[in-house]
Amino acid sequence: MTEPLTFMMGKFPAPLQANRRYCKNHMWCQTTDGVLRFGFTTYAVRLMQDVYFLDWEINEGDTIALKQKIGHIETSKAMSDLFAPTTGTLVRFNPELLNDPSAINVDMYGNGWLFEIAGSDAETISMNDYHAFLEAGWEKTQNMLKGHM
Amino acid sequence: MARNRITVVLSQAQGKHPAKRALEESVVAALLMEPGVEVSVVPYLYDLGPDHTGRMFLESVRGDMVLLSWLFPRAAFWILDRDGIKGHWGESQLKSPHADAEDDEAKVPEPPKGIGALDVPNRHIYALDMRDFNNHEVYVEEVRRIAAECRERNEKKQKATTPAVPASLVQLGLVTHDEPPAPTRLFEPEQMLQAPAGRRWYPVIDYSRCTNCMECIDFCLFGVYGVNGEERILVENQDNCKKGCPACSRVCPEQAIIFPDYKTAAIAGAPIGAIANLKIDLSKLFGGSEKDAVSQAVLERDRELVAVGRDAVGTAVGLAKRQSHHGAKPKDDLDSLIDALDSLDI
Ligand code: SF4
Ligand code: SF4
Repeated sequence: MTEPLTFMMGKFPAPLQANRRYCKNHMWCQTTDGVLRFGFTTYAVRLMQDVYFLDWEINEGDTIALKQKIGHIETSKAMSDLFAPTTGTLVRFNPELLNDPSAINVDMYGNGWLFEIAGSDAETISMNDYHAFLEAGWEKTQNMLKGHM
Repeated sequence: MARNRITVVLSQAQGKHPAKRALEESVVAALLMEPGVEVSVVPYLYDLGPDHTGRMFLESVRGDMVLLSWLFPRAAFWILDRDGIKGHWGESQLKSPHADAEDDEAKVPEPPKGIGALDVPNRHIYALDMRDFNNHEVYVEEVRRIAAECRERNEKKQKATTPAVPASLVQLGLVTHDEPPAPTRLFEPEQMLQAPAGRRWYPVIDYSRCTNCMECIDFCLFGVYGVNGEERILVENQDNCKKGCPACSRVCPEQAIIFPDYKTAAIAGAPIGAIANLKIDLSKLFGGSEKDAVSQAVLERDRELVAVGRDAVGTAVGLAKRQSHHGAKPKDDLDSLIDALDSLDI
């Protein structure tokens, strides 16, 4: 079994989980009962901090395309449009988050999952590749954050 | 004395958000009890057309004014200016809780680099953002402070002018305009609150930043912009603007174009000095495919062109001048923020 990796965001650890795939838009992906379940990685959650609002612009059952804009999130530090991590059919959103998105902060790899898609995971990358992707982008990300804060 | 009163106008939020309505109600209730304060309520300022009673009321206010709205103060102020409701910028002391306290002293107000507003009467307009606090007392306190500040300023003005003016004229000479009509009697509150015809969408120019460079008029292919007799840029046909499209604001080299309802703070008119403390837009990091601001604007413009059955023009039209004369000036916070987001090519 692979050891889980942790990416260090400066002095803040962003642990990754070994038993799943990752996406370049900072989501994790896990196949559960034949569908792909997605959620934010710790890296994403650390950048955003406390989630205030989560808005979906599509409905369960909709066909979605990779990188299609599917929603919007607002947190204590940030806001962002959200984009589909893969092409497929949206099976369902995590119902728990619709009323209270705080599970994203508390348990992003578990109860804080975002949605399930029936589709292919061809666009996802391994934990090692995601870790390398974070390393490669970290300087640019920091510059952006510094330019901002 | 009527002229020592300050007019406070609360512009309601769009929609019927219960928490927002509750805050509005408690602010109004508290201000009604304040001596020297005349309080009125109008619908969402950005949506008010010229025939709306609420807008006519705003136009009738002559003295100092405080506008409470669910808009960035810069957006609210320049919407009023656009509607011909002009005044000098009144600086609120309310600091958005999103701003870091330590940074505040370091912020020196930047010198105005734009062409400025036209025909500004001798009064001040203060815009307060209702999104900053959810406690009415903060706003009431600030209104008190502003009322005192205005009183003091007007007394100084009065002292300065008194000696030269014959005694009989003093009373009329205190204010630069006619004595304000008692607005509440002319405008029934119910009429003022009539729902606006619908949501509106148009650019609002911040003339304190606008340098009259004409990039926007060249870029927009829908005839929204025009110039007046003195060749000053203005928003001429606001209803031609395409709902949801903020393209020209990305092209303006001075970030002088505000779309008050746009989702990102920088375009919606966030304060320039505090921009760095506002929420960061992580869309690029999370998979948004936008490239730099100009390409984004070109895409948005093409989308609108195609939507009305015209041909997409890409970068072929209205962008030629841009690179040549931009870049020499020192950048301010807002410029750097936008650049930082642009350079993040993930
Ligand atoms: S592009 Fe910006 S600075 Fe230039 S004229 Fe238009 S609003 Fe003014
Ligand atoms: S947003 Fe688009 S349509 Fe509206 S003024 Fe700007 S370029 Fe023109």
